[in-house]
Amino acid sequence: MTRTFRQALSYLLAVGVVIGLWWGVSWLLETIREREILPTPGVTFAAAVENIGTLASAFGTSALRFLIALAVAFLLGLPLGLAVGFERRLDQYLSPLIYLLYPMPPVALLLFLYLAFGLGEVVRLVVVVMALFFQVVVAAQGAAKYIVPSHVTAVRSAGATRWQIYRHVVLPATLPSVLTAARVSVGLGITMLYIAETKLGVLLGPGGGLGRFIEYYTFRGDISLAGVVGLALLGLLFYVVLELLERFLCRWKFVGARGGA
Amino acid sequence: MIEVDGLTVVYGRGETSVPAVAGLSMEVDTYELVSVVGPSGCGKSTLLFVLAGLLRPTAGRVRVHGEEVRGVRRDVALILQDAGLLPWKTVRQNAELALRLQGRKDSADQVLADLGLAGFEKRYPSELSEGMKRRVGIARALALQPRVMLMDEPTANLDSITREHIQNLILGLWWEMGFTGVLVTHDMEEAVFLGRRIYVLSARPARVAEVIENPGMGEPGYRGTPEFAAQVAHLRQVLGGNGA
Ligand SMILES: Nc1ncnc2c1ncn2[C@@H]1O[C@H](COP(=O)(O)OP(=O)(O)O)[C@@H](O)[C@H]1O
Ligand SMILES: [Mg+2]
Repeated sequence: MTRTFRQALSYLLAVGVVIGLWWGVSWLLETIREREILPTPGVTFAAAVENIGTLASAFGTSALRFLIALAVAFLLGLPLGLAVGFERRLDQYLSPLIYLLYPMPPVALLLFLYLAFGLGEVVRLVVVVMALFFQVVVAAQGAAKYIVPSHVTAVRSAGATRWQIYRHVVLPATLPSVLTAARVSVGLGITMLYIAETKLGVLLGPGGGLGRFIEYYTFRGDISLAGVVGLALLGLLFYVVLELLERFLCRWKFVGARGGA
Repeated sequence: MIEVDGLTVVYGRGETSVPAVAGLSMEVDTYELVSVVGPSGCGKSTLLFVLAGLLRPTAGRVRVHGEEVRGVRRDVALILQDAGLLPWKTVRQNAELALRLQGRKDSADQVLADLGLAGFEKRYPSELSEGMKRRVGIARALALQPRVMLMDEPTANLDSITREHIQNLILGLWWEMGFTGVLVTHDMEEAVFLGRRIYVLSARPARVAEVIENPGMGEPGYRGTPEFAAQVAHLRQVLGGNGA
């Protein structure tokens, strides 16, 4: 309990520091350029309150979109990554392919994605899924390559089927590093979400996602900035959720003298 | 009853192939406990993996209870070197792992209690001492109530007090449960303490260099007798002369 409390306190402190810095930069820019450039936290907060309905709707839409994309990326990427990392034959044939596609930014393909999927909801999800999918695949593959052989022998010696080997060894052994990788990828995912909602979201109203909200109010710096803060909070939310998920699903990592082994 | 006839195991193929076992033959009677001793890396674990049905022989035959071994058998349990516990499973889940994989609903609580692990069922392996981990590994095998028990260096890397404790435990279990056992070790005293017969293996690739009869084995008190010391000295001589 005290640990949770201390953690909450440190997050609160971080928020305070960020607001302080923000305010400082705002003030500095205004002094140097002699006009308002970056709206202050107070002004932004007021703009957020004023547009709370639209902002909340944009936040909710973005959060749902990101959640779906994350789930799809896991559902598709985890089995593929684990199989490629664990089955030596697949590793041989599919690894070069994955590493060829992995560094390719989906943003570069926006035109083709748009032509293929149109401007509907699907294309926005595809962009985010593509980015997260490769992160999950590469993390899962890397972790599955270094499974301890005696763990596999332990279940094989009891007559485990292929499926049981995955269920009892490969998946639980790799889950911590896959979740950590997913947490690290939240930043990238949020960026892709922003791009999807701006470049591929021109038909949406301001409540159709935080990216669209920010773009819609381009000429109202204070409202637009409130949307940016929303995007940052969205990233933080998923970061925290993934961390809690790891603590819950990988409890064994957090016990024992050396915190698991 | 275990019969091994001309067993040869070669890892890999071509130029990088590693012969691990070369024409090894041995026999273990029903309810007999034998020890297999040999230098590190000579092919002891490989031999056990073949007996457990995890590895196909390159040549030769292996039979358990008169049947050719073609895969994992439900009446054979293997205790892995370093116990092979899964860190993400609790003590109870680890002990019941083999049961669950075979679709059996039995509880391992009694076995855990018998091995002095009551109260630790919900702990994870990283919270246990090395000796306790080995006992969980033994519990996992015992829970299956196997007719054949294969043990791969069950006391390696333990301090001497814990090692003797586990050795006494294995001896007691053998009396109580009456399994057919093969115990692999590189510890000479362990080989003498727990082997009714002692198979001495050569350096890699493993073949049987000598079989030592050890009729005094079977009592915990055997360890302190001059007979025991003489057998250990003899074994040391055999292993030394063997270039190990
Ligand atoms: N999967 C494998 N591929 C290639 N060589 C192996 C493999 N497993 C074991 N070996 C080699 O076979 C030999 C015997 O190994 P092992 O049976 O584990 O020895 P021991 O248990 O007696 O220490 C060793 O030289 C080891 O390096
Ligand atoms: Mg070994």
